[in-house]
Amino acid sequence: MTIRCGWLAAVLMSALAGHAGAASFDLGRLFDAGKDVTAAAKSIDETEEIEIGREVAGRTLGAAPLVADPELQAYVNRVGRWIAMQTERPDLPWHFGVLDTASVNAFAAPGGYVLITRGLYDLLDSEAQLAGVLGHEIGHIVQRHHIKVMQQSAAVSAGARLAQRDNRSQLVNNAIGTGAEVLARGLDKDAEFEADRIGVVLAARAGYSPYGLVEVLHRLSARAADDASLALLFKTHPAPGERLTQLGDALAPRVAQLPAGKEPAIREVNPNVPPPVAARPVAAEGARALQQQEPGAAQTSKPAGEGGIDPAGILRGIFGR
Amino acid sequence: MAATLKHFMPALRMMLAAFFLAAAPAAAQQVTLERDSPLYAEPRLDASQVTQLKLGATGEVVGKQGVWLNLKTAGGSGWLFSFNVRFQSQQAGSGDSGTGSTAGRLFSPRRTVAVTSSIGIRGIEEEDLKQATFNAAQMKLLDGYVATRQAAERGARASGLAPEQVDFMGTK
Repeated sequence: MTIRCGWLAAVLMSALAGHAGAASFDLGRLFDAGKDVTAAAKSIDETEEIEIGREVAGRTLGAAPLVADPELQAYVNRVGRWIAMQTERPDLPWHFGVLDTASVNAFAAPGGYVLITRGLYDLLDSEAQLAGVLGHEIGHIVQRHHIKVMQQSAAVSAGARLAQRDNRSQLVNNAIGTGAEVLARGLDKDAEFEADRIGVVLAARAGYSPYGLVEVLHRLSARAADDASLALLFKTHPAPGERLTQLGDALAPRVAQLPAGKEPAIREVNPNVPPPVAARPVAAEGARALQQQEPGAAQTSKPAGEGGIDPAGILRGIFGR
Repeated sequence: MAATLKHFMPALRMMLAAFFLAAAPAAAQQVTLERDSPLYAEPRLDASQVTQLKLGATGEVVGKQGVWLNLKTAGGSGWLFSFNVRFQSQQAGSGDSGTGSTAGRLFSPRRTVAVTSSIGIRGIEEEDLKQATFNAAQMKLLDGYVATRQAAERGARASGLAPEQVDFMGTK
């Protein structure tokens, strides 16, 4: 038992280190193999979960502020809350926000915090699609996916927890590490596929067309297929195409029973709000060079911070990864 | 000669305009089969089959209904389970969002988003998240936007939404 737990911790630590291996690492199977892991996740109570999520969300807002459009933010909160009300955790302190960044991404932080980037919001063209994306994120929170992963880090091992029982903020700090990168850590593929299935069901429960998320994945898949460098983004993630295949297999037996649902129009961002500033514009020749990379040569992505682009990072964290 | 040309200029302009208008539908949504799939006469799994399409076959999306795509293919027209296709990539500026067609709006963004521009812009990333510090002012704003249950219900009603009973699929 001790040996197995030690091995488990070692594997999880390497996964949490944020390497490409995290994506191929099948956490779900390990959870199935060891019930003690699930039991351990339960030992972070809801108050702590919310506290962790709030800290993570606040730090994420430190990286990108909210779009300065109060009516848009209120609208996304109404839609998000309505979807969250269809879950088993309707009364978490649900917060939704649109981040002012051109990146295409969405994040879920524990305890009810969901942030979607304007880059992704601008790709959506119906409230049903927004519902699918928010439903996916809400799925991560309802299933406590991040908490289960965090629980495995050495910082929140049983020993550390005992030592910090009376110092909650220290616990929170240790749980999320040195920053909000907990959101950038990959969840395992199974957690993503599960969140996709939940997203479809939650949109349907809320009265929307169940297929908004499917449309968004199709769109991302088309973008990724456009050139080798974009396809590379998905090297460490389940590619949208793979997610579509998984979701299709799960949905096929259910399509006849799923309600058709509604597809209300989505609220546009106030046209007076300027588009997000390109945080670090990259020279056009850099982008072209990336596009012209040989498929074989494109296997090694240029690390960020070398004046180049980190292609694997552009869509990293999509839907809460 | 010059007079003749001048005489024909309006017609030429019209012909050119017609040519470009005719070229516009080329931006219609093209899909490629991801796996061998039947093309159905109606958007139902138990409908009669128009034909069996092979992996790699292509088609043009002319409509959609739920999870089904209405496709025009070399083998005939019919309905395909949308998970079994992948959309061919959207080139910058080729989006037919201006046409207002259902299929066009479905799979292309409301605004033209150039693929290259997303390559050229780095936004929030892992490194930014690592270095970010808690922004209390933004958090206060976020708190202010929270919707009550009642507000969420009112919003849903205004959009004609009503809750449905739907079971989860294969959730642990």
